[in-house]
Amino acid sequence: MEAQLFHIFRNTPLGRETLLQSLYFCKKTDAAPVVYIPKFTKFLMYFENDVVQVDLDESYLCSAHTAFEHAEALIRDARLEPNFLEPRNFTASTLPDIPTHFDFMCCPRSVSDLSSKIGLGYIGPRVRRIVNAAHFPVLLTSPVYKPWHSIAVFFGGSANAVSALRLGLRIRRISGLPLEVFTQAEKKPEFYEKVIQQEGLEAKMAQSVDKWHVFETGTLEENLYDVPHDALVIMGAFGHGLIRDLVFGSIMERIQSIISNNLLVVGPRYTANI
Amino acid sequence: MRMITPWRHPANWNIFRIDDRLLLIFIGIIVGVCSGVAAVALSRTLIFLLNWLHPFRHYWWAFVLPGVGAALSSLFLNNFLNEGAGHGVPEVIYSVSRYGGLIRFRSSFSRLISSCLTIGSGGSAGPEAPIVMSGSAIGSNIAKFFSLNDRQRVTLVGCGAAGAISAIFNAPISGMVFTIEVILGEWTALNIVPIAIASVAGTEIAHLLQGDHIVFEYGHFDIAFVDILASAGLAVVAAAVSIALTRAMRGMHKVAGRVPTSPWARAALGGFAVGAIGIYLPVVLGEGYHSIQEAIDGVFLPGLAVAALATLSKILATAFTLGWGGSGGIFAPALVIGSLAGLTFHRLIVLIWPSVAWVNEGCFALLGMAGLISGMLQAPLTGIFLIIEITGGYDVILPLIVVSAISSTVCQYLEPASFYLKELVEKGQLLRPGTDARVLSDLSIQELLEKDCICVGRNMLLREFIDIIQESHRNYFPVEDEETGHFLGLIHLDDIRPYLFNPGMYDAVIMEQLMHSHAEVVRLDDDLGKVLRRMDEKRLFSMPVVSNNRFVGMISKATLLDQYRKELRVQTCQ
Repeated sequence: MEAQLFHIFRNTPLGRETLLQSLYFCKKTDAAPVVYIPKFTKFLMYFENDVVQVDLDESYLCSAHTAFEHAEALIRDARLEPNFLEPRNFTASTLPDIPTHFDFMCCPRSVSDLSSKIGLGYIGPRVRRIVNAAHFPVLLTSPVYKPWHSIAVFFGGSANAVSALRLGLRIRRISGLPLEVFTQAEKKPEFYEKVIQQEGLEAKMAQSVDKWHVFETGTLEENLYDVPHDALVIMGAFGHGLIRDLVFGSIMERIQSIISNNLLVVGPRYTANI
Repeated sequence: MRMITPWRHPANWNIFRIDDRLLLIFIGIIVGVCSGVAAVALSRTLIFLLNWLHPFRHYWWAFVLPGVGAALSSLFLNNFLNEGAGHGVPEVIYSVSRYGGLIRFRSSFSRLISSCLTIGSGGSAGPEAPIVMSGSAIGSNIAKFFSLNDRQRVTLVGCGAAGAISAIFNAPISGMVFTIEVILGEWTALNIVPIAIASVAGTEIAHLLQGDHIVFEYGHFDIAFVDILASAGLAVVAAAVSIALTRAMRGMHKVAGRVPTSPWARAALGGFAVGAIGIYLPVVLGEGYHSIQEAIDGVFLPGLAVAALATLSKILATAFTLGWGGSGGIFAPALVIGSLAGLTFHRLIVLIWPSVAWVNEGCFALLGMAGLISGMLQAPLTGIFLIIEITGGYDVILPLIVVSAISSTVCQYLEPASFYLKELVEKGQLLRPGTDARVLSDLSIQELLEKDCICVGRNMLLREFIDIIQESHRNYFPVEDEETGHFLGLIHLDDIRPYLFNPGMYDAVIMEQLMHSHAEVVRLDDDLGKVLRRMDEKRLFSMPVVSNNRFVGMISKATLLDQYRKELRVQTCQ
């Protein structure tokens, strides 16, 4: 079945760049964009065990009369079918419920703050809640349109990292783009190989991964320089540690604060198929 | 970490593996205690605010106080907490109906604060709906913390609502009955036991924090047969007043919506109007429990005309407060209006038949309260038990049953849904457990998709198609455009039967000629109830599901009804 990517359209230049990223992602992964043009600054997303209220900033309501035609033009330019989401259910009269059955969702790093505040190294609390609760991965876009020509998966051995790797292999299969795996070794390299073996991914790795970089020396920051600047970076949201339920994994936090690539973040509820 | 993780999954604890109900009872006690504490906190804060503002009410400018309170309440709710919602109970029912009782954490405190500002400053509203919202949100979030499933979460939402109502009225049975009758709409053993325990927990915590007291004490009433007869007349009056209050609030909400200003300014305007009424009739201000006690004690001094005027004014003040954006519920105003209506009715019949030995007017005030609650909520049991419990006696039980039964029946006849449910029913969003709409809403098209169909190209020859028929187990074959992959139509096996035994046609007919290009299609986000209706109307047994112009599978009536039965069994615990 065709995958769907959910996108909240912001009718500003920043919103245009974000939609372009979504459309590029859709084309590469053979997904269909589902665009929501908000009429209210807030909406609810009811996940399986959590309800997330997203509070958009006022720029999402900018020039409502041109938003539809701008979004449609961009989608048609990308040779994709426009598909706009109109909320059917409302928790309250100004609080629509947005479905959560999508395969991907695109978010800027923050959906709740003014665009002037959004930058690298900051993922808004709403986006974190969505990643935490959703069964789909979240695409965090770079501030300007940046096509990607390869896939980079960060693999640290955790359950979410395995999901990220599976997702990377899936996108590699659909898009045909080269896939590289990056590991900042905190344990012996055998540990990571054993995880791959236990998950039954050995053959797939050998077949689909172009190179597995295992950094045994050097800091993460300097090793990240090796990540292609035009790669889609896929990683798990949570590390492994005592406070993993409360914050994103520390490695993930450091990666996202340093690189400007498009990120595809896999949360704990995502179950990936290759 | 291993030591901590099991706390989030109590269903795995050995003690709860014996029986799922034990788990719900245990967590229900926690929820009942928390919601009871929230109810006491709201009640205490309201008393403090009302006392603090009391000296200022004698000044000429006091009419601005309810306006300022309502504006602050609206600002807090809409701008600070981004809640932007109504008075709460419909939201709780909606979340129970559609989303297994998932409620935002912020709702556990937002309404407490906003309703404090509205009611404390003199707005005509009650604290019960906000506290129900708050208790329900506490129950929902505790269930979420412990990773409980939908059904358990709904029960805990009920526990929160019951604990809160029980604590605020010192009325455990009313809390339980209100929750089951109004919020959940489902009487099952699985619900009742934890909710009853939570009610007890809520009541006990209120006893502990503020002592055991009866909300409205009264003396003894000697009810005669003639009073029971008169109570039937009062029931009709109560029903009329209930309808008037419901329609006044909805009408006022619509009028307010047309005023082109921000929500906080709208709330302020409504508050100023309430303040202006309050200058002449202070009985309309605040929750109004004091005036209820006066009516029950028979010491409400003004005469018949003023009592009638006070009833109408309270209706107007409540409509101005809640319809224009203030925060609070209708429970307390309904009790006040009911007591005033009962009082007015008593004085009227005394005027008409002075020779009859009528019971004390306080009794009719009680009956009026039951009539209003039963009529507004269309929940007769809630009305009966609430009055019994908040007055601490069974003296009036017979006329109470008469009033509640007649009032709720008349209201049901005139308004198909209660005040809390009206909006949800109008939008088709009220889905009670075990009903057709609820079962269908819990199924999704994705889980019913049959994906073993073989697609054929529009230019495929009949000869090639016959080979495909041999491979397939299905009667339907979707036709796609070879280049774009777009769905074009559907071929049924019957359509090719005339050509099957004519080999001469094998290389002459292509699929495009045979297909139904106007086949009824279903979208992935279509409502299953509507899909089933379309199948019935068009006499279809299968329909193709199309997403983004591409065929994704078939949906059949047989699979749908199979899943329907399974879901119905789950929902009705069979």
